[in-house]
Amino acid sequence: MIAAVRSRAALRAGAVALFILIAEWSRAEISRQPGWTLAALGVGGAVLGVAAVGWPPESLGLGTSRFGLRILGGVALGAVLLLPAAARSGAAPLLPAGLALGAVVVSIGEELAFRGALYAALEELGGAPLAITGSTMLWTLAHVLSHPPEFLGAVAAAGLLLALWRWASKDLVGPILGHVIADLAL
Amino acid sequence: MLALAAIFYAVASWMVAPGFYDGFGPTQPYNWTCPPPQAGANLKPSSGHLVIKVIDGSSDPNSAFTDDGQLVIGFLPGAFMVDGKTSITVDVTPLDSCPQPPGVRFVTNVYDVKASAPLDPQKSANLVLIYSNLEPDPSDIYQAPAPDGPWTKLPRSQQGQPFTIVARTTTFGYFAAGYPATSAPPGAVTVGGGQLLPIIVAVLIVLVVLAGLPLAVMRRRRSSRGKDA
Repeated sequence: MIAAVRSRAALRAGAVALFILIAEWSRAEISRQPGWTLAALGVGGAVLGVAAVGWPPESLGLGTSRFGLRILGGVALGAVLLLPAAARSGAAPLLPAGLALGAVVVSIGEELAFRGALYAALEELGGAPLAITGSTMLWTLAHVLSHPPEFLGAVAAAGLLLALWRWASKDLVGPILGHVIADLAL
Repeated sequence: MLALAAIFYAVASWMVAPGFYDGFGPTQPYNWTCPPPQAGANLKPSSGHLVIKVIDGSSDPNSAFTDDGQLVIGFLPGAFMVDGKTSITVDVTPLDSCPQPPGVRFVTNVYDVKASAPLDPQKSANLVLIYSNLEPDPSDIYQAPAPDGPWTKLPRSQQGQPFTIVARTTTFGYFAAGYPATSAPPGAVTVGGGQLLPIIVAVLIVLVVLAGLPLAVMRRRRSSRGKDA
């Protein structure tokens, strides 16, 4: 009985991981085509959000209790994610305004997929340690095509921070808000 | 553990140029001749060399590019006035200085593109320059016969891939992408970034402190009421 439950959980976690990986890699490939960047961000973000369909909001970390604190946590996460860039001398990169909407959609989609559905599926399978390490590893792997190799350490560190927040506060609102702020501001 | 993760993130992101979220930037960091202060570790830009065959008095179609792919110039069949030559050589070399002529603000390296034969004016070459997301988008590619100018705008071609700018040229010389210095950068409507970023972070921190204090007080009052009850 336990083995059957575990194998079903493993199957679900594997399916979610595969879906997310294909969605992220497709998004990265499509965004390289001339004129497709915004569409790839918007549609890719929406497709990633599909991974969260069917999960109860509570298991995704989307409850409404302590909502003020969740928002505040998101603002704090945004500040932490932006701090290294803000502390550097000179100007940080500029996000063209046309990509802002895509940035918002993809941030929400990625959080629903990685720290939402994938985290929940891995937690069901092997508890919080597997959820944190597994979602961070897949998050890093998913960004292999869209980021230069030397950036992947920072990508992994951001994924770990967001996953730890998800675990410590059982909250996804904070990571979503922090990710949106960081993407829009950088 | 969260604090440790935040410190780990700060160290890891300090080691690379900012701006890696969700692949809005170019897939490879730009190799600068004169890196801007916010660029992380920088590699020197590469040069490129191409030999084009001439068959039956007509040059083959081909493309010359720098090894890092930051400049690509494509030639149509018969693009060169071969004048009896059996092959044409094309050399692309990044300039080892960064001229900033009056009235123009360059956002890429300056490249010297030379060939052993001139181009046929009827068969212009397609020039593609990659630019970085650490600088504003360029509006045009500029060309000059010498590094000190005079610099002229090339007619811009269709939009290429993200973070590339495309133009057509019928002569060789020095090329760089930029925008008129007297105007705001093209597509200057941006969200965040730039000099605004420290202000955004400061506002976020103030918001957390200001909103966090009343929330902490409310929670303490609630918990003390619970104990009293």
